[in-house]
Amino acid sequence: MDESASSTSFNEPVNTNVSVIDAAFPGTIPRLNPKCIELTVATSLALSGNVQLVSSFDRKHYFYPDLPAGYQITQFYAPISLGGKITVSPLDGLEYEKDVRIKQIQIEQDTGKSIHDLRPGMALIDLNRAGTGLMEIVTEPDMRTSKEAGLAVRKLQALFRAIGSSDGNMEEGSLRCDVNISVHKPGTPFGTRCEIKNLNSVKFLMAAVDVEIERQIAELNKGGTVIQETRGYNVATNQTFRLRTKETYNDYRYIPESDLPPLIITEDYLTRIYNRLPELPDDRKRRLMSQYHILLHDVTTLMRENGGVEYFEEVAKDRNSRNVVNWITHELYGLLNIKNIKFDHNPVTTQQLGSIIDSIEKDEITAKIGKKVLAQMISGDKRLTPDIIQEKGWKQISNMDELETICKNIIAKNSEQVHQYKQGNKNIYQWLVGQVMRETKSKASPKLVNDILKKYLD
Amino acid sequence: MSMSRTITEAANLLRQKKISTAALVKECLSRISKHDSKVNAFIEVQNEKEIFNKALEVDDRFAKGSFIGSLDGIPIAYKDLFCTSTLPTTCGSMMLKNFKSPFNASVVNFLEESGAIMIGKTNMDEFGMGSASVFSIFGPVYNPQSILFAENHLEKDNNKNIKERRIAGGSSGGSAAAVAAGMCFAALGSDTGGSVRLPASYCGVVGFKPSYGRCSRWGLVAYANSLDTVGTLTRTVNDAKLIYDVISKYDANDSTSMSPKVRSINSSIPSFFKSDSNTDDLRGLRVGVPKASITEYYVSELNDSIIDLWKKGIYYLRSQGASIVPVSCPNTRYALSAYYVLALSEASSNLSRYDGVRYVPNENDNLLYADTREGFGKEVKRRIMLGTYALTAGSYGNYFLQAQKIRRMIQKDFDRVFKRPNPLHFIKKGTSSIDDDGVDILLTPVAISTAPKIEDCLETNVSVDNNSSNFVNAYVNDVLTVPASLAGIPSISVPYGVSSIDGYPIGLQLMTQYGDEDTLLEVAKVLEKGAN
Repeated sequence: MDESASSTSFNEPVNTNVSVIDAAFPGTIPRLNPKCIELTVATSLALSGNVQLVSSFDRKHYFYPDLPAGYQITQFYAPISLGGKITVSPLDGLEYEKDVRIKQIQIEQDTGKSIHDLRPGMALIDLNRAGTGLMEIVTEPDMRTSKEAGLAVRKLQALFRAIGSSDGNMEEGSLRCDVNISVHKPGTPFGTRCEIKNLNSVKFLMAAVDVEIERQIAELNKGGTVIQETRGYNVATNQTFRLRTKETYNDYRYIPESDLPPLIITEDYLTRIYNRLPELPDDRKRRLMSQYHILLHDVTTLMRENGGVEYFEEVAKDRNSRNVVNWITHELYGLLNIKNIKFDHNPVTTQQLGSIIDSIEKDEITAKIGKKVLAQMISGDKRLTPDIIQEKGWKQISNMDELETICKNIIAKNSEQVHQYKQGNKNIYQWLVGQVMRETKSKASPKLVNDILKKYLD
Repeated sequence: MSMSRTITEAANLLRQKKISTAALVKECLSRISKHDSKVNAFIEVQNEKEIFNKALEVDDRFAKGSFIGSLDGIPIAYKDLFCTSTLPTTCGSMMLKNFKSPFNASVVNFLEESGAIMIGKTNMDEFGMGSASVFSIFGPVYNPQSILFAENHLEKDNNKNIKERRIAGGSSGGSAAAVAAGMCFAALGSDTGGSVRLPASYCGVVGFKPSYGRCSRWGLVAYANSLDTVGTLTRTVNDAKLIYDVISKYDANDSTSMSPKVRSINSSIPSFFKSDSNTDDLRGLRVGVPKASITEYYVSELNDSIIDLWKKGIYYLRSQGASIVPVSCPNTRYALSAYYVLALSEASSNLSRYDGVRYVPNENDNLLYADTREGFGKEVKRRIMLGTYALTAGSYGNYFLQAQKIRRMIQKDFDRVFKRPNPLHFIKKGTSSIDDDGVDILLTPVAISTAPKIEDCLETNVSVDNNSSNFVNAYVNDVLTVPASLAGIPSISVPYGVSSIDGYPIGLQLMTQYGDEDTLLEVAKVLEKGAN
């Protein structure tokens, strides 16, 4: 929240983005970061929350080496947004529609990072992210399965990315989840809950929810009780484990943060943010499906990468959209993944990918060669398809005479197979096509080869 | 005598080239070397070579006819809780004994930009927690009056005043003493509940606390951040005004700095006086004097010489044309209790950063958390404990919330008493918002007594059986100054004479509506002229 006069990034060297405010030097006073307020308000509006025209900040005290001031600035008494909901539906992959109510959204200050395993006996502190603003979304106990929980988080990720309030990356800590879990028998009140902290992917979150549900049921079936506590999740053993129980809970001694005046938001400001809201995930899904006649599955895959939809829409201009979506979700995403390149570092421009699809359309290359061209582009070739295939000699053979000679040769060399074909073994036909392709190094136009072979065989 | 020279006089002499900056600096340094072993006003004095180089630079500039500001060449001291990048900032604490800030406080920058020369950092109660300036690891500050008395009268040591060692008051005692003893021309202090005004009264100088938010707190190490204000200690009201004009700027680094919008609303509201009116004519001015004072201002505690001077002050303002109006602030009686709950709660929070991970009393120690807190003195630890208690889940509602309500009630009392509307919740309704029954200014004493003897304030001399109540008794010294702090309104302590009993100085306190420093300072100038 605090405009800690310093940026933050997962990969920066430790303690290189630290201002005197972040490090809580004596005599410093925090400042509110207007961008942080703007993104939180946008997120609240997107989740149908009630943005509070007056909210305020409080200090939450606890001692920890990576909390330089000895308190975290948060919004305890009067958060910036109350209410709202996350709707999870078939659009998100749930079989039914479900509203997860939001209790509140508050703005908080991030802490530094303690590193315990680098040097034995020492706790190292990285203050890079200390003082950065973060938004905490607290839901009501409305989710019933790990799938609902996982999809709700995915839904939030998509929303954050659309709005730009977070890249939603859980591995890097730009999105963090604490999950509260309780079990109860139908018709009885909610059971005692346990909180699982530090879950760093949706997959682990879902796994942790499942094993924690099992653990609690087993405990109760044994005649035991569930005690309120904070637990961690061990990925290797797929088990949750106790971090601390309620007896050791801190008294946070909340006190109004008088260094920051109350945050006043005007109706004008709200209207301005509302009018600037980008297309939200559900609307976007519905629009893409109807506008481009592509499947929900394709849309969801496109949206998995930040900027994927924008990329698709650019390439799909005046092109077959189903073709384009396949090229992006199967070939491009696939190759980038193999090469371990993030989509936001994708070297292939929309014109480049478009040129591959165009060349295939115009029968200049086969789809198979198209993939080779794409690989070439991912390796850093900045040229368009025609230039690449020209230089590499990958251009499709569409010379009728040349192809006829090749086909006749293949038929002549494989009289046994031709005989079988004529006996009625129609499967042999594809094998013969394959021989032609091998001979031409896949450069033969499949359509022409088909025409020629049919002419001589049938 | 050089020591009583004002900033205005010094600045004029500098401009007329009748004196050099180097000579001014030398005067201050020689008074420091002559007296500071007995006064202990300074924690650190600027390196002599460095300060003379700076003075010569300024003189060179003067020779070329270039003056950069109203304080050009004027030696000034800073309470040691203003961050300075050239000298350490200890806050009088073992915890920060070795701390050097990477940046200057904004007010320090403002003063340097107007040409002021930092002569040193002054002694104080640890982190501003105290009313006597005896709780410092650098030892107590001694009231310079006895020394000055001896100097003025050239009397030998059989005079009772010389032997008697008295406190300078706190927590800005070093700043008040340094100004009173002529070791600098002005000093910055901080005022949380009276820390500038009380020592000013004890030492016989002017102590001015502007409205909360008027001067940037960026670089002022926090004691109680909703109450902390930058204050000035000077020899005259006019000098206070000169410093105030330089430091009272909006500063984006301080989120609680009075916003340009509020400043503009404030200047659109009529005041009795505009800045620099320079008239002694007080006709039409309504001066409020708290009535039923027995309960409201602890007059039972006030000693007679103080009541005498207060009365004289009232008569004097009336003789200048002001009308005296009895006013009632019924909630003032709760101010002291509310103040100590709020200030200590905030202190417990603000001081939690000195956790032994980053600031340690001894750099080579690998101490555990609890042990590192030994870097705090007894009074600081006591206040942290009390404040922590007030914030625990079980007592927050009974203490902190109640104290906050009282604070709000006190603010409302003041809003009701003053004629001028409060610019913080001012909505323009033509001219009808001016309350004709209200007063322009309030006049009260600053302290309940003259400076107490040092042995009565030192922890070691507190009798064992009475230990528990004694430190609370010391808190009573703030009873007259905390109401203005809770309300955030400007207030000034003006020296008005000396006690007929012990000869020590006594100040009178003026208070005006939030944002009305103009009226406060102009009336203070008049009151100053009537001083006995």
